[in-house]
Parts: sequence; C-alpha cells; structure tokens
Amino acid sequence: MYSTYFNVDNLSLAMIALVCFIGICVASFSARYLKGDRAQGNFYIFLGLMILSVCTMVSTNHLLIMLISWTCSNYLLTRLMLHKSSWIAAVNSAKLAKRNFILGTTLLSAAFVLLYLETGHTSIVSINNSELSAIAGITVGICIVLAAMTQSGILPFHRWLISSLNSPTPVSAIMHAGLVNGGGFLLARFAPLFLNQGILLNTIFTVGIISAIVGIIWKLMQNDVKRTLACSTVSQMGYMIAQCGLGLFPAAIAHLCWHGLFKAYLFLASGTAAQESRFVSDKPPTALHLLTAAVCSLLGTHVFALTTGLNILSGDTTTFIFFVTFISGTQLALTIVSQKILAKYSVAIIATALAGYGYGLSVNLFEHIIAPLNIYQPQSLNILHIIAMILLTGMWSTLHFTSKQKGFVYPRWLLALYVKMLNASQPHPKTVTAYRNAYQF
Amino acid sequence: MNATVQHQVYTEVVETQKVTSKKSFEELIANCWAKIAPSWPLKNLIAVNPLAGLEDLSFESALNNAAAYFQQADMPTQMQAINRESIKWLQAFFDDGQATIHMPNRHLGLFKSVISLIKYDKNLYKHDLRILDDLLEGSNYSELELIVKLLSLLEVEKEHHETFMTLLLTTLPGWSAYIRYRTDWPDKIDAYHPFSVSKQDYLAFRILLTYLMWPDAKQIIQSHNSFNDHRKTKETYQRIQHNDYYFQQQLLNKMCVDAKHSGIIDIPKAQFIFCIDVRSEPLRKAIESQGAYETFGFAGFFGVPVAIENQATGKSHASCPVLLKPAYKVTTENRKNQQIISKHKDLHKKVYQSLKYNSITPFALVEIMGVISGISMMVKSLFAKHSSWAGIFNKRKDKHTSYNLENFSLQQQVECASDMLKLIGLVENFAPIVILCGHASSTKNNAYASALDCGACGGRPGGPNARIMASIMNSKEVRTELTKIGINIPDKTVFISAEHNTTTDDLTIYDEIPNSLQELIKIIKADLRVVQHKNTAIRLQNMGKNRKVKSVQAAALHAKDWAEVRPEWGLAKNAAFIAGPRNITQGLDLEGRAFLHSYDWQIDHDTELLNTIMTAPMIVAQWINAQYLFSSLDNVAYGAGSKITKNITGKIGVMQGNASDLMNGLPLQSVYKSDNEPHHIPTRLTTYIYAPLDYVKKVIDRNQQLQQLFSNEWLHLFCYDPILKSTYTLQRSLTWKQAH
Repeated sequence: MYSTYFNVDNLSLAMIALVCFIGICVASFSARYLKGDRAQGNFYIFLGLMILSVCTMVSTNHLLIMLISWTCSNYLLTRLMLHKSSWIAAVNSAKLAKRNFILGTTLLSAAFVLLYLETGHTSIVSINNSELSAIAGITVGICIVLAAMTQSGILPFHRWLISSLNSPTPVSAIMHAGLVNGGGFLLARFAPLFLNQGILLNTIFTVGIISAIVGIIWKLMQNDVKRTLACSTVSQMGYMIAQCGLGLFPAAIAHLCWHGLFKAYLFLASGTAAQESRFVSDKPPTALHLLTAAVCSLLGTHVFALTTGLNILSGDTTTFIFFVTFISGTQLALTIVSQKILAKYSVAIIATALAGYGYGLSVNLFEHIIAPLNIYQPQSLNILHIIAMILLTGMWSTLHFTSKQKGFVYPRWLLALYVKMLNASQPHPKTVTAYRNAYQF
Repeated sequence: MNATVQHQVYTEVVETQKVTSKKSFEELIANCWAKIAPSWPLKNLIAVNPLAGLEDLSFESALNNAAAYFQQADMPTQMQAINRESIKWLQAFFDDGQATIHMPNRHLGLFKSVISLIKYDKNLYKHDLRILDDLLEGSNYSELELIVKLLSLLEVEKEHHETFMTLLLTTLPGWSAYIRYRTDWPDKIDAYHPFSVSKQDYLAFRILLTYLMWPDAKQIIQSHNSFNDHRKTKETYQRIQHNDYYFQQQLLNKMCVDAKHSGIIDIPKAQFIFCIDVRSEPLRKAIESQGAYETFGFAGFFGVPVAIENQATGKSHASCPVLLKPAYKVTTENRKNQQIISKHKDLHKKVYQSLKYNSITPFALVEIMGVISGISMMVKSLFAKHSSWAGIFNKRKDKHTSYNLENFSLQQQVECASDMLKLIGLVENFAPIVILCGHASSTKNNAYASALDCGACGGRPGGPNARIMASIMNSKEVRTELTKIGINIPDKTVFISAEHNTTTDDLTIYDEIPNSLQELIKIIKADLRVVQHKNTAIRLQNMGKNRKVKSVQAAALHAKDWAEVRPEWGLAKNAAFIAGPRNITQGLDLEGRAFLHSYDWQIDHDTELLNTIMTAPMIVAQWINAQYLFSSLDNVAYGAGSKITKNITGKIGVMQGNASDLMNGLPLQSVYKSDNEPHHIPTRLTTYIYAPLDYVKKVIDRNQQLQQLFSNEWLHLFCYDPILKSTYTLQRSLTWKQAH
C-alpha cells in the first residue's frame, strides 16, 4: 500500500512502534526526572516534534519528504541535546553533532539528486524497482552508506556520538534507541540498491565490523557508565550495519529494535551503576569447562536453528549469525559450569537451550515482519567474513586468557595500544567540562 | 626552551635541591593539602564541610578565600587542557569496577603507573617528551624530589611554592577531595586498596602534566592573587547572617524552657530512642501525640562502633561515625538456606554480566534482553506503582539475619550500654518496651542513595546497630552489671530494634516480641500506622504535592520510582542542634530542622557527657549543616549539579556529562525545589544547650577545636542555664552575653 507521498509498510510500522514506544516511556520518565527543570517544557516540545518527524521519515515514499524529515529530526535532536545553553560543553556537543548531521544530510541530498536524475522518480518504491547504471549505482550507494555511517556513529564518524553525553539522560535514551538507528533504517529502505552490488555489501560489512570490534574494545575500557554505553552503541551499530552487509537486512532491523530497547533501558537506569556489584572471575576457564560449554552451546545453536528454520550448514552469510550464537552460547554455559552450584550441567544445558530459543524467536519475529519487503538475501560466505570471525574469536579468547594472569608484564606495544585506544575513545576536548565552574545547570 | 638549556637548568636544580630541606618541603605539601576537605565515594557519602580546610579562618574570610580558590569563573585555556588530561588518567586509575579492560600497571601507584603510560600519549607528543626522559633518568627518583625539580623548572619562586601547589589542587577540587579521602579518611577496603595513591603522588602527577603542557604555568599565581571579590562575599556573608538571626529569633521564641522538668509521665507505654537526624524530629512529635510515649535522641549508631562482616560474602564495612574507628567486629549469621538462595540469586547476574562485559556476546545479549528491557522500562516509567515486581530479587532480606557478638567482651558491652543510657538521661523509669530505632532510606536508581542513609553509621542503614544494641541491652549479664552501677532495668522491660524508613516513614520492627507484650506491641503498631499517615501527609506538603492523594502510598511510590529525583528531602533545612531533655522542645513544631540530642545535666556531674555531645554529635551536625549550606550556596562549586546530566565514573563519584571534575557535594535536586527555587536556606548551625553555663564553659575551655569553631563563627551557641533561668549566647570573642 503506497501513494506518491507515503508508503506505510511493515518496516515503517516496526520503526514507528519502536520510536513511539520509547518516546512514551521517556516522556513519562521525564515527567518526574525533569521536574523543576527550567527547560522541561522545551524538552517536551522538541521530543514531540522529533517523534512526529521520525514517523514521517520512516513512512514516506517521497525523496524530498524523506530528506526534509531526516534533516528536521536531526535538527530537533541537536536542540534536545542542547538542554541548557549556558553550559559551554553542552553547546559544543550539540555543535559537533550538528556538523556531523550536516555532512550526513549533504551526502543524502547528493544521493537523492543522483537517484532522481538517473531514474526520474521521486518515489522510493519506484526507485527500488528500477535499474541503475553501474557508476550511478556505486556512487549513490557510497553516498547512502556514508550518510548512514554519520547517522549511526560508525567509525570514523563516531566522535559526535561519544561526545553527546552532556545531554540529559532521557535525551541520551531516545537518541541511542531512536535516531542513531537512522543509518540502519536508511540501508534497509534502499536495500534493493545494494543487494545486487557485492562490492557495496562487502564495504558495508567491513566498515560495520570495524566499528563493532573497535567499539567493543572502547566499551570495555571506559571508566564511566555513560561513555561505556555510548561506545557500546558504536559497536552494536557496527554489528547492525555489518548484518546489512551480509544481506540480512531483517536481522539488522531486529538488532536495531532490540538494541534500542535495551540501550534506552540502560541509560534510564544509569543511576544504579554505583550499586551494581561486578562479579569478576580472575581465573581463566579450564579446558574441561570450555569443552562442556561448547557442547552445551552446540545444542543451544541447534535450538536456534530449529526456531529460525535456518540451516547451519548452508555455507552462506547466515553462518555469521550462527557463529555469534555459538560463541554467546558457549560463554553463557561457561559462566554457569564454572560456578560451584548444584546441578550446574543441567542448568547450563537448559539455560543455553532457552537462550537459543529466545534468540531464535526474536530474529524470527522480524524475519516475518520484514518478509514482504523481500530484502532477506543471504550472500555467499567470503574471505572477509571469515577474517572477521577469526578476529572476533581471537578477541573473545584473548579476554579470557591473557589479562587474568597474575604478574602479567605488559609488553610495550600493548601499553601503547592501551593509550592509543584510551585517547581515541575520549570525547572531543571542547565537549569536556575542563573546570568545575564551567558547568552550568 | 631547548633541550640543552633544559639540561643546564636541570643540573642547577639538582644542586639547589640539596639545599632545600626535605622536611620543610613535606610540611609545605601538607599545608597545601590542609586546604582540601575530604570527599567520600558513592558507597558511603558522608556529609562534610567543603571548606573544612579553611576552618582556621573566620567564616567571612573563609568565604572570601574559598571564592578565590574554588569559585573562579574562568580558567586559563592551558590549565583546562591539563585538567582534561588529568581527568582522563584519574578516571582510569581510580576506576573501582566499571571498566573490564583496566589501565595497566595500576599496582605501581598513581604516579608511577601514569608515568609508564604517558610516554605513549600522543596528546603529549607535541610537547617535548625528552624532558620526561631527562627527568626520570635513573629509576631512583622519589615523588618529592620530582616535585622540587619540577617547581624549579617551572621557575616558581620559593615564596609562591605553596600557592602554586595549592592551586594545582584547587583547580580540580573534586578529585583532590577524593584523594584526601583516600589518603586520610579511607575505610578499611580503601586503606588497603591495591592501587595506592599518596598526596605526593598526586601532586607529582599534576605538576608533571603541568610542566609538560604549560611551561609558563606560574602565571596562574598572578591571576589568583589578583582575584578579588570582597563585595560579593560580603553580600553572601550578610545574607547568611540574616538567615541565622531570623532562624534564631524564631527558635528562641518557641522554646519552652520554663516548662516544669516534668519527666512525670509515670511510666510510658513505650520509649523510643531515635537517631539525632533531623528527620527523626517530626516522627518523634507525631509518636508522642499518640499517647503515653517517651522519645529520646541519640547518635544513630547507638554508641556501638562496630565493623559488620557479612559471613556469606566475607565483606565488611564500618558502621559508626567516620570520626571513630570501629572497635569491635560483628559477623552476621545468615540462615543456611539463605546462603544457598543468594548463591543462585547471583547466578543470573553473573551470566548477564559475563555476556554484557565481553566481546561478541553483547550482540546476542541485546536481542534476548530487548523484550525484557522494553517491558521493564514501560512498567517502571508508566506504572511505577507496580514496579516492585521488578525489584523482587533485590529486596533487603536482612530481617532474618542475626549478629554474632563473640568479639565483643561483656565489659565492653556494659560500657556501651551504660554510656548510651547516661548520655540520653534514661537511667530510670524504663517502659515495658524500649524501641531502638535506626534509620535508612529506600530509593531507586539513585547514585546518592547512601547520602540519605544514617551518617552516624558511616553512611549506611542504621538498623544493624539498633539490633546489636538491643541484643546487648537484653542480655542478662549486661543487666546484672548495669545494676551494679545503679542502672536498674526491670526484668519485664524488653529492648526492641527497629528501622525508620526515612523515605516512606514506615517503621520496621525487627525482633520477635515475647508473648506477654503482644497486646502492647499491637497497640504500638497501630499507633505507628497513624503516625505514618500524619508524617507522610506533611512530607507531601513539603514536596509541593497535592494533599488529597493517599499520602502513605504516595510516599511509598517515591521509594519505588526509578525516575524520581527528589525521593525525600534528606536533611535539607537543618539549622539547629538542641541538647537537653525532651520537655524543652516537646510539642513544638521544629519543622524537621533540628538535631535533637537528649541530655540531662543533672546526671552529668563532671561534664563528661556534655563534652562527648559537643565534640562528637555536634561536630557531625556541623559538617552536615555546612554541606547543605555550601551545596545550596553554590551548587556548582560546592555541590554536584543537576542529576539529569550526571555520569557515574569508576563507581566512586559523579561527573557532569562527557567528563568533568569529580562533582562532590549534594546534587541540585537535594537542595533546590526547581532550577531557580532553593529549598534549603543557607543557615549556619545554631546549637542550643540546656545546662548550667558553667558546664558549657568548662567544655569549651577544654577543647581548642570548639574554641576555633565558635570564635570563627562556623556555628552559633546558645545556652539556657536552668539555675540562673536565663539564656546566654557565645560571642566571637568567646565571651558570653545574655540573649533576648
């Protein structure tokens, strides 16, 4: 069902549901959280307008309307970020974001102009159904990918996102659950443009997985709760974009929605960070435990396969999803079998199976929702995917085995890497409140 | 400055340095640090005067001094850059459980670990790092020597050394305050922290960064010395003075000191012993109005300075005022099945954390947790009333915990018991039930939760201390010993422990009640329910809420709601400390602004009891008062700023936004109704003592600290002499004047 101006398909509905749901939660939260705050009124006005604008953006079929609502949404987001204009660091955060969004909008405009010139359509549905020349296809594709990257804080456009924490907590919640997802939505919306261009898909996968890996390292290094969450978003967005690059757009949309809910919750609950006690195991896992966990996980992964109806041995890019499932299942079982509790093996088996089932359901749900769009097209597995899996596995096992050794002497390159990563994950200097009285409420 | 010149200067420095006596330099450093007040981490936020380091000055000049050190409206850009780098390293070094990949080499201590890393720091490359190699040539340097060296390299004149180093501390005041806590006031865990820091360590770190990034840093002394804001501090001072005067007039007019020393309630139905906390006052008033109840005020740790060790986890914490060292160790005795439950209870957390703080696994985790998070977020935000199911796993289940007092000898128990009874003047007329009532708050999603708990218990819930004291008071052996010193507790009198929830005004009674008293306790509980209704109604009014709603439920909602930034007003509006028998204040509406300490001068023959009151609880009250005063005076310089942009770092403290100084002090929402409208009125503490003037004089003559505080006007003192029947006030000159 679509017209010249609007096309409310299942993708639109999923996005509208997500944004409105989080919008309502955040609005209700802020009724108490921002009570007595001078800018509470403005917050509600901008929040309302932004949700409206995002809903327009996800349900339009017209290039121009999409461009306008895209720009509007981002502008409103920067207004929300700039909660108190007397606090210079917050003003600078908003400026940084604005500059990033201007770049994104420019890229998007370029892509849209090209699309219009090339196809003569303003309707996105028509564009997705038309053939583009090779050069136009690549150019448009790159522009859209870059625009998506600026929006989702993908490296090297991550700076604005990890510098955005001068915003009030509810703004961070809706930002990380809402507009940063714009990148994933954009790619899904124009998925047909990418699905027959292997190079583009591989590029998308590569930039995504780099963000996923680097973001996770940053996340694990951070010392404050909100930057931990922001770096985690960089990595999760990376993974989401990478899933697009695998041709698994519905999986990317699933990831985007679930991550949105999860991250919004964590931001709103960030006041509890000090009370959360961390359980640190300082021993590397034993071989026996690892093996048992892997066996449990094979079972879990099988349950996942049954639930989703995917074939483990397909040899296409769904293997990547199985890989993530398998490693996560192993980790889950490993934590359980390393405990000194009763019936741990049964607990591990049941827990892994249940987790596989739950994960399967969540992926499956979106596959069904997005199915009519016909943008689920697994690609054949290539060397890039395999390298990524090896890198990720390496990182996972490094975390388990090296840092826990007592009396570990850090080699120089590791010290240098730590400092490099620490500096790279710092917010932009102008967005740091470098002396106390520069902070204003 | 090129490297060779550097080197010449450096060798000269080595020569001069030998002349500089090491000892005088250590003193110099101590002087710098003396200006910094400690600040406790989030796990136990103890109220402290942010200007405690300036208490040797008069209040007015301290205000002026503090304005120059802490309230500068601007800072040189180079210093800002130094601060940014400092914050980055301090965040990483002092992380207490946020990061998964830690800063390497932290076991070397702050300075040495940072040194081992800044070689690779690109932010510093643009500055000549050969300097660093020169400085650290040979590994046998001490931080002290380095400080001396660097001061000379920075060409800071000798007479400016102290100011310069002090400025390096006060330009990042929150972090300095935290380090002051770590070096001078640490609890047991932080005292043996594997990643140590010393005052010299921190100064060396700051000076080194300064030297690397701003060789002309001595300019900062100029701008500090030229700072002058006398006019503004004078205004502030006058405003506070006015507030004090206004409050005192009201208080003096209210006090009914002429009331007959009644104490004549024959034998009350029950006696309650509460913490002196200002939040106990309205509750005491409400309880007394319910019938023949007598109430007392005492420091909420009930005089038992204990460290409580959890048998299951092995973790222990001090449960007494930070002015004291815990003298006794008490262990909890959990029921066995509880231990098993807690082991399994933690399993889901362990699994969750192992998936969350890991690589790869978070990708799958979010998809499994998405639905649960979404539902939970909706219930907590839209239906906060029903959110208790979400916290079902986190309920405090210490109702069934008992305490093992093995390490607490009988003699010590008797001492604690008799000290408490004498201090509050309860040595006869015991009611059949005496309730020892500690207090704690209950809030959700609140980084400052421990600031609302009992300060006298070191920022922890007061229930455990009440329970320990109750079991001491009920011990037959203790009572026999007490009889020998003239305190006869009737056999039928039972001590019961309870905890007052200061957020909901709910009073939980812990102990099992003997059958003979079941009837009585039923009546008491019914009365307490009425009290809760009354008090929560007043509470809602203070919160500016509609009075028509059901007050008990509304208060309970504050405790459950994760979005609530003002769950309760804490100790806001505190202004007075009153030591005397209850009848001088009974029936007065003190609006929850007074710390009430029970005191009977007639049993205090050698003024020992008054001495204790004026040197311990009164001082604590002054700390609390000063914290509220300064947090409301300037919530940026002395407070934590708004909760809405707070960011918890390292689980120890709060920053604003992306990164900032460690924002110590109270958040805006604790002292302000809204961004513009203060709730707490900056008022210094007015102490009011009901005792012969000679008693008070004796105590002050003995204590230099008290003399200093009173003559410098950090608090006011009034004394009602029941013999002369007149009120006196202590003046700055430490002479007494009759008050009107």
